[in-house]
Order: sequence, then C-alpha cells, then structure tokens
Amino acid sequence: MSDDLANDPQLIEEFVTESREGLQCVDEDLLALEQTPDAAEILDRVFRAVHSIKGTASFLNFPQLVELAHAAEDVLNGLRKGEFTAARHVIDVLLASADQLRRMIEDVAARTERQYDIAPLLQTLRAVRTPADGAPRLGSILVQQHVVGPTELAGSLREAAAQQTRLGDLLVNKGLATPEQIQTAVDEQSSSTNKHDATQLMRVDVAKLDHLVNLVGELILERNRLSQLHRSWTEGQIGTEDFDSALSNAVGRLTFVTDEMQVASLKTRMVPIDNVFRKFTRLVRDVGQNLKKEVRLVQRGAETELDKTVVEQIADPLVHLVRNALDHGIESPAEREAAGKPREGTIAMEAFQQGDHIIVRVSDDGKGIDPQRIADKALQKGLVTPERLKSLSVREIVDLIFLPGFSTAEQATELSGRGVGMDVVRTNLKKMNGTVQIDSAVGKGSTFTLKLPLTLAIMSVLLVNVADEEMALPLQSVCETLRTEKQDLHYLHGREVIRLRNGVLPVCRLGRVLHVAERAAAGGERVVVINVAGERMAVLVDHLLGQEQTVVKPLGSYLGHVAGIAGASITGDGRVRLIVDPAGLVTMALGTENPLPEVAP
Amino acid sequence: METIQSTASNIQPASLSSAQGGSELQLVSFRVGTEEFGLEILRVHEIIRVQNLTRVPNMPAFVEGVINLRGKVIPVISLRSWFGLERSAHDKSTRIIVVEIQGNILGFIVDSVSEVLRISNDTVEPPPRMGKVERDYISGVGKLDSRLLLLLDVDRLLSESEEITCSQMAKA
Repeated sequence: MSDDLANDPQLIEEFVTESREGLQCVDEDLLALEQTPDAAEILDRVFRAVHSIKGTASFLNFPQLVELAHAAEDVLNGLRKGEFTAARHVIDVLLASADQLRRMIEDVAARTERQYDIAPLLQTLRAVRTPADGAPRLGSILVQQHVVGPTELAGSLREAAAQQTRLGDLLVNKGLATPEQIQTAVDEQSSSTNKHDATQLMRVDVAKLDHLVNLVGELILERNRLSQLHRSWTEGQIGTEDFDSALSNAVGRLTFVTDEMQVASLKTRMVPIDNVFRKFTRLVRDVGQNLKKEVRLVQRGAETELDKTVVEQIADPLVHLVRNALDHGIESPAEREAAGKPREGTIAMEAFQQGDHIIVRVSDDGKGIDPQRIADKALQKGLVTPERLKSLSVREIVDLIFLPGFSTAEQATELSGRGVGMDVVRTNLKKMNGTVQIDSAVGKGSTFTLKLPLTLAIMSVLLVNVADEEMALPLQSVCETLRTEKQDLHYLHGREVIRLRNGVLPVCRLGRVLHVAERAAAGGERVVVINVAGERMAVLVDHLLGQEQTVVKPLGSYLGHVAGIAGASITGDGRVRLIVDPAGLVTMALGTENPLPEVAP
Repeated sequence: METIQSTASNIQPASLSSAQGGSELQLVSFRVGTEEFGLEILRVHEIIRVQNLTRVPNMPAFVEGVINLRGKVIPVISLRSWFGLERSAHDKSTRIIVVEIQGNILGFIVDSVSEVLRISNDTVEPPPRMGKVERDYISGVGKLDSRLLLLLDVDRLLSESEEITCSQMAKA
C-alpha cells in the first residue's frame, strides 16, 4: 500500500519542487550564518528546510536522503543549542551536504536514483559534532600555551561534557586557568577561524553574467576581425583607403565593447539591498510576536543597488536598529492606544541614492528616545561624568547610546539590551566611511539615518554641455528634455521661470549656478526637467550629448562635499567629468533668492 | 610606493651615500615664480606632466581642478595662486608634483622641477621673515652654494588650504 503511495508521481513531483525551493535559500542562509553565527532565525530556516526534506523523504522511502538529512539536522541542532559555533568548517560541510541533497533530489526528479557514496560526508558531519579538526580546539590551544597539561585537559573535557558547562568556565572554576588565559585562548581560536574570511562567495544575477559573457563573445569577434584585416593588408588584398576605414570601424567597435565590459563587470559586484531587506519581514513578525507588539514593516527602495561589500556590512547594523526599534521604540498596543496612536506600530526601512551616497533609513513611530533617560543611564553606568553631561547638547546626549556598553533596557532581553547593539552600528559604519544620525522626538518616534559612500556605484547619466564643459546629470532624476523656447522664459518675483505646458517651473541655469559659464548670456538652448523628491526644476544647458552608464568616483576627501556635484567620472579620453547632484542643485538654485552673480573664472 | 616617473630631463639622481635621514635631507627642488623650493623626496609620489584639468565649481582660486591619475580623481592645487603670484599659462616645463598627505593624494602645479638633491640638516635654518612667502608652511631655508631653497611644509599647506576650501564652500 505505502509503496503505491510512495511511487505516486505527483507526490514525488511535489516533494522535488518543495525540496528545491527549500534548498535554494539554504546556501545563502548558510553563508549568512557564517557572517553572523548567532542569527537564530536564519538557523531555524535552514533547519526547517532540511527537516522537511527528511520527513517527506522517509515517507516516500528514499533512505539515503533521510540518512543525510538526518545527519545534517543533527549538526544544525547542535548549532541551535550552541554546542559549537558556525565556524567555517561547519558551514563547509553543511554546504556540501546541501549540494549532495540537491544532487540526490535532481536524480529523484529525473527518476535516476542510485546508490550514493555518502559515507565520507556522513562521517564529516559526525566529526563536526565531536570536533577535532578545522578551527583548533580551545583545549589544544590551552595546552599549547602551557596553561593546562594534556591529562588535566582530558579530565576536564569529560567533566565539562557531564556537567554541560563550557570548558573555559570549568577550568576557571577549578582554578586551573585564569579568566584572562581563557580569553587569550578564545581570541586566538576566533582569529584562526576569521582568517578564512579571505575567500568570499557572492551570488550574481545570471542575467548580468550572461551579458558579460555576450560581451566577451563580441570581444573575440572583434579580435578575429582585426586579425583578418591584418591578413588582408599584408597580402595586399585591400587598399590604404579601405584599410583605414575598416580599421577605424574596428577600433570604434572595440572601444564600445570594452567600455560595455568594464561597466558590466563592475555591475556584477552590485547587489540590490533587497538581499538584506528581505529577512526583516520575518524578523519583525517573529520578534513583534515575542514581544506581544503589533508591528507593520514598510520597505521602500529595496531595488537600490549597492556594492556587495557594503550590503554585507550593513546587515548587522540594520538588524540592531530594527531590533532596537521593536524592543525600545514601539510601545505595546495598550500603551499606544493610551497615547492616542494606532494599536499597530510602523517600522519603515527605506533606501535611496542621494548624490554620491546611499541613504538607508530605519524609522519607527514609537515612543522616541528620551534624552533624560539616556543621561541618567549614562551617569549610572559611569560612561560620563556629571560635569561633562552638563556641557552636552540634547543631540550629543542622544549620541551617548553609541558608547560601548550602553544599554537602556531595564532588563537585558534576548533581543536587544546586551549593550552592544548601537556600538556595533557605529563601528560598522565607520569601517565603511559611513555615518549614522539619530533624529528623535519623544512620543513621536525615532529615525536612524545611515549614510553610506557609493564608491563603486554605476549610474546612468545624461551628458550635457555647459559653456564648453561636459557634465553629467543622473538620469534617474531627469524627467524630460526639450528645446528652450525663448517666449516661455519669464521673470516671476525676480526669479527666472519657464512655462511648460500648463505649469510653471523654476529655472536653473547650470552654468551660472556652478560658476562655469564664461559668457554672460550662457547658451541655455536646451531644457532638462529634473525631479528631486517631487520638486521639479528646469535646468538650462547648452547641448545634450547623449546617455551613458558611468562609474561614479568620489572627488576625494580633500575637496570634501562640493555643493551641486555628486562625484566625477572618467571619460573615454581620460579626462575627468563632473557629475551633477540634482538634489544639491535644487537646494542651491531655490535657496538663493537672486541668481548668483557671475564670477570671473 | 615613492616613485618618480617621467621626471624632468635635467634631474640628476643623487648619489647614494650611507648617510641617514637624521643628518641629511633628500629633496626634490622646483620653481614657482622666481623662488626655488624644496620638498622632501619621501613625500613625493610621482611627478607628471600637466594634463587636462577639469575645473570644480565653487572652489577657491588655488584649486585649479581635478585630474585623472590612473582612474583616481585627485585635486590639483596651483602653487602660483597659493603664493599669490600671477597665473601663467602652462608650458612645456610645467609639472604636477603628486604627493600623499595624511591619506589624501593631491597634486601641486609648479613651474618646473629642477633636480633631486641632498643637503645637510646643518645648512637648514628656520625661516627668516620674508616678503611674499613669509608663512608658516615654509619649514626652513636650505642654503646651497649660491642660492637658497625654501623648504615646503606640505602638511601645514594642506591643513591651511583645507580650511580655506571649507570656508569657501560654506559660502557657496
């Protein structure tokens, strides 16, 4: 009977689809786990995926699948219980297991099941749980450092296992080692595992790779054409004139292809911030439930692309910020109702590009940060002296939460309040040359704004010409371009405006605002209508030169932030071309009542 | 790190001696206007010919613009404008001395680069009061046989110029 059921093609197909889906995320999750070993929700997700494969496989009678899934599950369980950490070698074997499971499931799908040699993998999985290799064991480090002898160690290890305590704690309790010695050993252990960070993996959208491969194909084509051309020339088959035009054609195409390739290869490094954002839906839901709070998560700009390294480093700070918002920010439904707010709190995460930066914002409509409470806590913890506190502004007081060891939670909860969160946020951002800013109003909520540099970002730009200078305008803020009709230009309250269909837009003569115009009547043949956060403005330029994908380079710290300039890019002939910052342009143009006076260059 | 590329043709590499930095200074000497300056050679990344400069809006006059140094955008400061001298057109001998100061890479436009030379620390005297360049970005005066060399303190120059640049941008 059960055989019939187990052979039901429909059931098998369902199993295959389900398992594929489950395994799809496993790799990514495992890698994430390696970065943040204590991320319980990721671990749970992997565990569930493997567990459900085990369950269905045993029902459908695939013994080897069951055996492997079971062994992997044991390792994951050990991780959940904290018996060992998600060190490199643990993740490696789990990844290998996932690969093997995937192979086996594909064979199930193709109905080509066979016997697999999974014994070595099973053995490694078992070995991970009774660790002997990979990261050096704490015990062996201690022996190496002559803190304990091998016999003492063996006895202590047995005892530690029996009492279910950590080896380090036990040794300290027995007076065999000082806490400092254990700490040194632990540091050494973790530093030896961290060394593996050098090789990193990343997922790349296949479409991007396909594009790159296509371009390489074209490159080879161009090379062949060139060698063909060379042959024809040496054999005297073509004349000088033909040779010349063919060569210039080839060079033109080659330039095009290599340029495209440069952009395409850089693009492979860019990933949408959605990769990080995605996991927050669950986090907010689960944590909210735990805390018995009703919370809604709103995400905007998840498609914003960031360099891979930036995306990775921003994950931790974001987790801390969102957890903090859940734990300390959003009030309980009852409190919220009493305060006249909707029962359901809102946490908003948004990402967008602003000039040469990416802004990631986490805001909540909770109770806000009370400077008084922060001050009291800082005093109590001895992080600040009363005299010093008096000299601090409100903003500086709020900034105290970034100090290491600061935590306002009355009781340390599992979620936050270990006093490391905000410290981590600031350190991680500093590593990326980013900043974090807090805006908070008591009773209304808090907003954390992370500003990240955009060193490798690629931008689509509109190339324009202003007084013989070539400049680039980010295409994302360009609405339309049109020819300037002189009769549409007017003065309204002393400022120049342009009539556009049924509306009137303020005018910004790019050359004048950026002080590059050499002639007083700076051209202004063309109108580029830009839109920055709903604010529309007509930018007058001399000529439109075309569109381009360009790599944004920072102007460097010496020049710092130049008003109206987002960065620079390198043109084909090696010149530097400035990229206009539309947001800055709007502020500059609308901020000054009168058009800026001409400045002699 | 410290290499000198495409240096002016008349540069004579100083003969290597066992003397250590303590007693001797190895300098790149260059001219701006009528004065001759010296810059410690270890500060110099490379010396390049003037290339296409892109002007940056709302910058003080001494920031001549930015250039592309092998894919990196670096600001270029005209020492002529910095010293308050008249601007002159760039010619064949004009050079950009690329230096790294406190992690910033930037270029200084000079009229010409003359040579690499060693002078003994004993011959360096504190800056006397002088007309045009009596400023604290001159760290000393090196006495050579027949001429004087003003030793440029690029760290001071950087911080001072940065202040001006910042205040200029605040106004803009």
